[in-house]
Amino acid sequence: MSSIRTFIARLVGGVQCLLGAATSTFAYLVYASQSIRESLSIANEESFLIVFLLVIFGAFSILSGMVLIREED
Amino acid sequence: MEKQMSGQRLKRELGLLHATMMGIGGAICAGVFVTLGYAATLAGTALIIAMVFCGIINLFTMLSYAELGAALPSAGGEYTFAKASFGGFFSFATGWFEWISNMFYAAFSAVGFAYLMSYVIPAINVPIIAIITIAIFAAINVKGMKETGITQTVLVLVLLALLGVFIAIGLFTNRALGTFELSAPGGFLGVFRASAFIFVVYLGGEAIAVAQAEIKDPGKTIPKAIILTCLILILVYTLIAYVVFRIVSPESLSGQASPLAYVAKQFMGEIGVGIITVAGIIAAFSSVNTSIMAQSRVAYALARDGYFPKSFFNLHRRYFTPYIAVLVGSIFVAAFAATGVVNFVTYATDFGFIIGFIFVNLSLIKLRRDKPSLIRPFKVPLYPLTPILGIVTSLLLIFFLEPGTLVIGAELFLFGLLIYYIRMVGYHRLCLAMGGMNLGVSAFSALFAYLIMSTPSTITSSSGTTFLLFALASLVSVTCLIAGVLNITVHSSGD
Repeated sequence: MSSIRTFIARLVGGVQCLLGAATSTFAYLVYASQSIRESLSIANEESFLIVFLLVIFGAFSILSGMVLIREED
Repeated sequence: MEKQMSGQRLKRELGLLHATMMGIGGAICAGVFVTLGYAATLAGTALIIAMVFCGIINLFTMLSYAELGAALPSAGGEYTFAKASFGGFFSFATGWFEWISNMFYAAFSAVGFAYLMSYVIPAINVPIIAIITIAIFAAINVKGMKETGITQTVLVLVLLALLGVFIAIGLFTNRALGTFELSAPGGFLGVFRASAFIFVVYLGGEAIAVAQAEIKDPGKTIPKAIILTCLILILVYTLIAYVVFRIVSPESLSGQASPLAYVAKQFMGEIGVGIITVAGIIAAFSSVNTSIMAQSRVAYALARDGYFPKSFFNLHRRYFTPYIAVLVGSIFVAAFAATGVVNFVTYATDFGFIIGFIFVNLSLIKLRRDKPSLIRPFKVPLYPLTPILGIVTSLLLIFFLEPGTLVIGAELFLFGLLIYYIRMVGYHRLCLAMGGMNLGVSAFSALFAYLIMSTPSTITSSSGTTFLLFALASLVSVTCLIAGVLNITVHSSGD
């Protein structure tokens, strides 16, 4: 039972880390690339807020994933 | 391999000259070579008044640094002061802002140096040159504080000599406009706006306080070095502004990429441009050196108190420097420099340094009240007026910063809060908190997925994008739901 739980925790943790990394990369692209902002119809005034939310979610997701992967027995 | 040995400490190797050069080199960055043009359009020739005004504002807070640095001469600067006066999250936040500000400042200076080099040698790759510069100064900082201090002293003396040539020739040249007249087209508000804009040229002098654990006879040397730094900066910047307006009108500086180089060209020709370019390169160089040193000492102090990993507290067996803190910080600096996010790091640097100013003045007031018997080799004159003026003027500067700076500052604050929380709470409480947040994100993502499918046209017109967003929101919702349940049940299953 414990090994199944560990497997699921590591799997979900890994997915969360990947989601967090992808979100952080996307946040950087939105911040750095004018063409991406234009294609997503993000106004320059809104870009700081969007990047802020994406970075917060990305950091939270990576952190949560790491907590699950390193779950104490 | 290198282990922290018992009794090993940072060595006190910096005298008054080295400490003063550390402060001046930290402050005179590439900024002064580029900010004068826009500031002149705001304040006219009254920019000279703005320069003196900024110097006095800087002096208010630097006097607080002098008192606290002489009374508490251990590594960490602002962080150490906040730790002694407030402790807890307040001191961690001070150290956190100080650490990231110095890393961003090092990245900004390294990129600035690389850009200046690219004017001289157009074929060079800016990020690679920036990374090489950071690597060189990281090696110097690992080698020892004495080497760092000597490098800084040589760089700053050459820089001051070059600026001295510019000022001396500018004061006596016959290629001037004529009689200098003080004018402020924007009135008092224009002078104040210019002050807020150019204040950055005074930031960085507090590096003396960060290195205070390595300064000889700190009770006397730290106050002298800080006050000397402030006075020399006021003198140099005011003379530069005077020479600029003696040679050209404020209007002619508008739109100049390098106003100082433009002015130098007017009365010294191409040689003047060369002198100012070399001075800019050296200024950027010395700023990289100072900020790599400063970030490592702050990280060292944070590790000493358990906020950062213990390995940051390790000293090199032979050189007695916090080599892991230097190297890890330098890797971050290189990453920031390589990505080229110069605007971001500039914003973050300004915000972090000004927050540090406020915290230092608050720490001074708190310590005067709570620990009146603390031995203070130097005392701030006109207390409590001086630190209060330091706080008020710093708050005013924050008010005049770009809105983007405040958003980035808030983000950095939240990151700091998160790290503090993770370090301070127990594992099971952390799991419970993460579980709650995961369930909240899961519910929000499920609601978002439902809204996408129920009203697709309000979010996107493409059916393919609608499906992709729905799938992504569902994935996040399910993942966070499982993660939340696992987090919340970890305590009972663990027992």
